[in-house]
Amino acid sequence: MAQIPVEDGYMIIPNEKGKSVRLVGSYSPEADESFFPRRRRCPITGGPVEDVEFSAVGTLYSWTFLHVPRMGLVPFAQDGGYGVGQVDLPEGPRIQAVIEGDMGDWEIGMKMRTKAYKIAEDKEGNELCGFCFEPEVES
Amino acid sequence: MNRDVYVIGVGAHPFGKHGVPVGDMADVAGMAALEDAGIKFPDVDRLYNGYIAAGGMMTGVTFAKEFGLTGLPVVHVENASATGSTAFQEAVLSVAGGNAEIAMALGFDDMNRMGGMMAAGFSRPSIDTVLLPAAFFAMWAVRRMHDNGTTVETFAKIAAKNWNHARSNPIAQRRSDHEVTPEEVLASTMISYPHTSMMACAAGGGAACALVASEEVVRRLGDSRPKVKVLASQQQSEQYTKGHVFMGAVIGPSEMTRTTAQAAYEEAGLGPDDLNFVHVHDAFPIEELMYYELLGICGDGEGDKLVAEGATSLGGRIPFSPDGGLTARGHPGGPTGLAQVWDATQQLRGESGDRQIPDARIGMCHMVGAGSVSVVHLLARSD
Repeated sequence: MAQIPVEDGYMIIPNEKGKSVRLVGSYSPEADESFFPRRRRCPITGGPVEDVEFSAVGTLYSWTFLHVPRMGLVPFAQDGGYGVGQVDLPEGPRIQAVIEGDMGDWEIGMKMRTKAYKIAEDKEGNELCGFCFEPEVES
Repeated sequence: MNRDVYVIGVGAHPFGKHGVPVGDMADVAGMAALEDAGIKFPDVDRLYNGYIAAGGMMTGVTFAKEFGLTGLPVVHVENASATGSTAFQEAVLSVAGGNAEIAMALGFDDMNRMGGMMAAGFSRPSIDTVLLPAAFFAMWAVRRMHDNGTTVETFAKIAAKNWNHARSNPIAQRRSDHEVTPEEVLASTMISYPHTSMMACAAGGGAACALVASEEVVRRLGDSRPKVKVLASQQQSEQYTKGHVFMGAVIGPSEMTRTTAQAAYEEAGLGPDDLNFVHVHDAFPIEELMYYELLGICGDGEGDKLVAEGATSLGGRIPFSPDGGLTARGHPGGPTGLAQVWDATQQLRGESGDRQIPDARIGMCHMVGAGSVSVVHLLARSD
């Protein structure tokens, strides 16, 4: 069964090998700035924005590892906690999300790749997904 | 402000996990403030209730009926952690603008009820699975450690200081029976690296109240104690910065605190060197450390030095959170900002007992609220 976004308008999941999950946001030509998630209008100028598909790989700005439950649904690490990071995408936005791995796996400045992760399942057995980041494996 | 505003009365119900019904706590705090001011509820022209999780609609106006059916306007204010501060600001502005001679800001809440409320709100699978504020502030801390070489010991020293400040505060949630050491703070349970449970703010229930009034009322009441004047009342929401985070329950750019404080300094015509003490939103010690710099108490990157010197402890150059702060006095939600005003008013009157700051003349109350907003008040002793 396929992976599909749990909500429309935030991400693209290609479901094809070799193609990356991408976040979708807004670009303001007037301000020459990009935002995530999508904005109704440019928060700086008030002018129109257009959809933009962001790069899949960004840079880790900061991280933490939580030992307390998260509000909502949680993919717990083996020891009961989970990582959270802020990832700067090349187009500008800073994305705050769950990061895969455990204490010691992350370093500020490392490359992180956007990934889909299962939050729930629909009646047809499709995986309803949100997004997270995983450390980029150097090839 | 169009005309001068004074704090004429404060009251509070102790913070803690004592399970006292919120309505009872609100009543205790409100009646204590009225008694402190030497007035009766019918003297109050406007009431601003501040609560987040205390109850659903009608809660504030229902509680107000216990004080009396006087027909006064009653408003519910909510701004996350800055709820009490925002209710206080609304009360101040109503007097400053001439819409009230006496206004009441009453905060009450029980943070332990929030878990269920929030969980219910996010039970539907959604992409915006809210990350705890604990995660956000921990990421401030990790980045600070990377950029400035700040150590976990510095965070532990700040938290231990606030635990010890709360020891003589009768409304504090965490009143340790011994001097708390940084080692003890570091040895407590890890919550969100690098923050441990003793660094995290105390979540419980409580209530706090402040009454503000015009100069004419102050003159009429003839209170012989030192007067407490509101020198500045400022609130800001987020402005766009590079790396702006839009999604998740976050406190916005830290610069918001700097610009709100600058606006308050300008309104009052003074600067950070004029302050005798500061109350901040110290939900985690990284916040207090960064606010030393953002409020202009020291230069950027010099906060760690301030901690090493003990400058922000009682007895130091500029005590921060002299009542224990969110760390140890507690953070029930709605009343938190008003508990700052409660303590600041007593400090300025010289009524703070063991934690009294000698000759305290000007104090700051700062809060941030998720979403997000920043609120800064400057209060001064006015003889």
